[in-house]
Amino acid sequence: MPLEKATALVIRNTDWSETSRISTLWTRELGKVRCLAKGGRRLKSNFESALDLLTACSIVLLRKTSGSLDLLTEAQVLERFTQLRNDLSALYAAYYVAELLGDWTEDYDPHPALFDEALATLRTLGQPGVACGPRLARFELVLLRELGYAPALAQCASCERPVAGSSPPGHGLAFSAAGGGVICSACQGQHGDRRPLTHEAWQALQTLNEAGDGWKSIEDPAVRATVRQVLNDYVTYSMGRRPRLLPYLGS
Amino acid sequence: MPTAILPMDAAPVGAIARLMHELGKLPGIGPKSAERLTHYLLASDVEQVHALADALHAIKDKVHPCRQCFNLTEGDLCKLCADPRRDASTLCVVEQPRDLASIERAGSFRGLYHVLGGRLAPLENVGPENLTIDALLRRVHQGGVKEVIMATNPTLEGDGTALYLSNLLADSGVKITRLARGVPSGSVLEFANNQMLADALEGRRAF
Repeated sequence: MPLEKATALVIRNTDWSETSRISTLWTRELGKVRCLAKGGRRLKSNFESALDLLTACSIVLLRKTSGSLDLLTEAQVLERFTQLRNDLSALYAAYYVAELLGDWTEDYDPHPALFDEALATLRTLGQPGVACGPRLARFELVLLRELGYAPALAQCASCERPVAGSSPPGHGLAFSAAGGGVICSACQGQHGDRRPLTHEAWQALQTLNEAGDGWKSIEDPAVRATVRQVLNDYVTYSMGRRPRLLPYLGS
Repeated sequence: MPTAILPMDAAPVGAIARLMHELGKLPGIGPKSAERLTHYLLASDVEQVHALADALHAIKDKVHPCRQCFNLTEGDLCKLCADPRRDASTLCVVEQPRDLASIERAGSFRGLYHVLGGRLAPLENVGPENLTIDALLRRVHQGGVKEVIMATNPTLEGDGTALYLSNLLADSGVKITRLARGVPSGSVLEFANNQMLADALEGRRAF
């Protein structure tokens, strides 16, 4: 049974016994792992307070090959996102990150880029002057891309013509979760679940989909609200169920 | 003390198997421990076993949440809420009755309590409607409360619950505080973990 070292984010904890717990960790190197942390509920253990929810930590675990839970042998805090404890909307947004990572990814399916984006999101949420909605939307689009569900934004999801080529560019558009992205005006009749998409909201989705800090420039409340609705629809459709945290999120 | 040793050659059947099965459902009790306890009880005096059975019946038949604070009690009010010497102007909010018992053992708090019955955990479908938050708000808004101490666990979910409550009570005019955190009294800094030291430095106060 090999010992593995990894950088992890704690996304769920379940009490196992009076002193032990089962922790679900999203690691950069191994993807999602579920580990038994013996003594993990004790104040004095090898894990100290590293197994609190949404704590980034370095871990050592013993991989089990028989299908039983891996055994966590060490965990040390790397980063704690303390600002989440002072901002309820940021805390709920962070819970949503944990829910998406925990419920929408497979065990041992690593996505280093998604791990880095998750940590970057948690670092930013709750910081002074940062709006949770656009930051979370940026994370969702990275997650969707990493998992192979990226919505079509530059071209019509139905006819595949570039929507920037429409006249005027980006106008008369809609978004269909079932259709897989933006729908041009000519194809909208085929998509009963379509939601009208303003030119500004379409541009915002394009900006959010690009690397960098473009999400900070999305300030219009109406655009943020549309982006939130579109992503709520799309994540719910792609995931196959409505995420538990969606009702708690603002735009 | 057990007075007889039972033969162990036969597999347990009937009442014995049932007791072992029920004991095996308790936390920390595996099949071996369940078997050992079962045989201990079989070998014990009948009065001792009946006393245990009566005690088990009583905790389910007589114990229920206090009407006011939701601590466990056998009466309408728990002994703390019924005690006129307690300071009713200070409320200490805890997650579970076990947390209340821990604070009471410390012997330094003379106010009243409010037991939430858990903490907000949206990831586990535990929302405000699953806790005694409405009852807490009613108690505070009835008047007489000057300070509410948030004594939820110092975890992300515990702090999130305290934050949610403090937002709800922000306009109530009561003072809202939370437990200090940091280095335990009587310990040494060398063995404190990083988080304890960080908390202690952040929460430092003037002499």
